[in-house]
Amino acid sequence: MSTITVFMLGHSRGDLVEGLLNSTATVRDLHDVLAKAGIDVDGETHVFLGDAEEPVSKNLADPLDHLKDGLRIHVTRCRRVATTVNYLEHSDEHRFAPGARVRAVKEWAVRKFKINPKDAAEHVLQLCNSTKRPSSDTTLQELTDNNTCAVCFDLVPEKRVEG
Amino acid sequence: MDVAFPPDRLLLERDLAAPDFRCGEFNCRWRLVQLSWPHATIAVSAPPRSDAPSEYAFRFECSGYPYVPVTAQPWDIQADSPLNAAKWPTGTSHVPAVFRPDWRNGECLYLPCDRHSIEGHDNWRTEHPSRLWNAERGIVGYLEQIYDLFHQSDYSGVRSA
Repeated sequence: MSTITVFMLGHSRGDLVEGLLNSTATVRDLHDVLAKAGIDVDGETHVFLGDAEEPVSKNLADPLDHLKDGLRIHVTRCRRVATTVNYLEHSDEHRFAPGARVRAVKEWAVRKFKINPKDAAEHVLQLCNSTKRPSSDTTLQELTDNNTCAVCFDLVPEKRVEG
Repeated sequence: MDVAFPPDRLLLERDLAAPDFRCGEFNCRWRLVQLSWPHATIAVSAPPRSDAPSEYAFRFECSGYPYVPVTAQPWDIQADSPLNAAKWPTGTSHVPAVFRPDWRNGECLYLPCDRHSIEGHDNWRTEHPSRLWNAERGIVGYLEQIYDLFHQSDYSGVRSA
């Protein structure tokens, strides 16, 4: 039985925690690893593997699917993150899984607003009412407070570094 | 005999062993090639392009880390020397603006988070606040910017292609 390295992000702490999980682990095994990492799982929390759309089963005996080295595990009270993107005079919303990345939100927005590839490369997502532009690999869970379960972005032009 | 390492070296080693950096390694975003204080050579993956490599290496100079920003130079791992300008990454707009062999003899990237490039560019502090060096994010923040330039911008391959 081999082990895989996983990276856990809990609703009660803001930093990633590294841990080991058996490659044939069950939900119970996962809860044990989370508990060792100081991440509590209760009836109101959902556990997501990577960017999966659905949370892990609540049945402790169930085996876990799609385990792979480097997997990110998200423990959150948000089953979905209501994500708003504003672009020019347009605005639209989509409910993403907490493990979805900023990259996926931009790809969705580019399709939704029918932005051509050249213009898409010239735009980035910026958190509303801020100057923060999270990297493309940032997960939505990292951008929520786990209570409001919502994120708002403006899709803005990326200024070239010059001058 | 115990050897006392300087705090900047210890703090860099801490960050290179931390989950944020290791998660990037496991997900093939970057990999540590060599740590030879005060330099860390790290390769950042790039998407497939015609006649282009799958990764570009950078040699980071990290003295004063993390309170002094690092500076990064494109690096040839095999030759253990600066990367020939013809092999630097390029693109149509943002990528060539950052990867400029003509800037300071190719010794750093034209990025606001770079120790040398921020000098004399106070306007960048208001024009590019999200690209500034962040001591809390450390070297991972610099790597994320390079990775996103390759994967989310106008990267087209190497200059000589």
